Amino acid sequence: MIRIPLYLAIAQWALLACLALLLVVAYRQLGRVLGQSRTHPELGPQTGARPGRIGYERLSPAGGAEADGRRPAPVLRTFVPGDGEPALVAFVDPTCPSCEGLVAVLDRAKQGGELDGVRVLLLTTDPPAYLQISAAFRDTALEIGRPLDDAELAAYKPSATPLVVALDAAGVVRAAGTAARQGEVRAMISACLLPPPAQLLPVI
Amino acid sequence: MSAAILGAKAALAVMLVVAGAAKLADMNGFAATVRLFLPPGVAAQRWRLQAAVAVAAVVAAGELLLGGASLTTPAVAWLNLAVLAVASSFVVVSGVGYAFHRGRSCRCFGALSQRTFDLLGIGRAVVIAGLAALAVPAVPGSVIKLTLADQGLLLAAAVVLGCLAFTAARCLAITSQAMARRLS
Repeated sequence: MIRIPLYLAIAQWALLACLALLLVVAYRQLGRVLGQSRTHPELGPQTGARPGRIGYERLSPAGGAEADGRRPAPVLRTFVPGDGEPALVAFVDPTCPSCEGLVAVLDRAKQGGELDGVRVLLLTTDPPAYLQISAAFRDTALEIGRPLDDAELAAYKPSATPLVVALDAAGVVRAAGTAARQGEVRAMISACLLPPPAQLLPVI
Repeated sequence: MSAAILGAKAALAVMLVVAGAAKLADMNGFAATVRLFLPPGVAAQRWRLQAAVAVAAVVAAGELLLGGASLTTPAVAWLNLAVLAVASSFVVVSGVGYAFHRGRSCRCFGALSQRTFDLLGIGRAVVIAGLAALAVPAVPGSVIKLTLADQGLLLAAAVVLGCLAFTAARCLAITSQAMARRLS
């Protein structure tokens, strides 16, 4: 009869139990991921939609924590789609690497003049202190705000970050989706600069 | 009593292997969590992401190696203390995470878990630290005396387990990202 050390027997059972647990966890997580796609079938508003205004507290460049640690008085603003200016609204998270990539690409586009005449607003629901975690968010010249009312965001369906919504001058969504790379961002900029649909109709 | 001690030791070892492999599979995600804990002076702002990735890689690889070593060489007593130190650090990280980053994902098992910094997380970390403390006392040499073949077998099993955890976590991370892109 072969005798094996007690530890070997226990370790084998631990390994087996862990394998079984791993299988269960992996299937459960996969089901959750796939399930989310069914329960949240949309990310971002549909093209052609007219989402509403968003009230926000401006965090940057003029807000956020000051050098002496005190926070200045909050600057409250409202973003109104369709006020005659094309806009890119980006829903971001300062701790998400793709969002940092998006901010860097937008910064370069702004410096290169590609965003002339386009309003860019970055919105995050994270605490203001998180802007200091990321160099891209801390140093950007773009406007960053924190939405004041979650209900106003519902029309934008920001269920993942980075979500970019391109709105034309009339406040109509011309494109929406995740974007972080230069090509994706350029496509969004082009989309928001499209003329409003009404201007495309022939004048009778 | 020996069975309880050895059970705790083996369970912690396999947990570390799975946690380390899963973190390696989603390094960017785990680095994002690590960055929350980097003090302001650790690196210049522009290098913070790289510093976080480096720390994340060291933590993940360290867990993987420590788990593998603890599983295959149960007679090495100092490994039990190392596991106890790591488990204690989990309690500290859970507490700090709960205090300053409540509700954020801890990515303790990469994409395999969606646990966040909450009270339950602190409880889990305390249980893990308790198991690590349970595994520290010495046991009779006869019950942990392994031949080279036994150790090879356990090492092979740990490698297979690590590869499976890595594959599962990687697949989940990629699937989540693909879903977000497809939905857009």
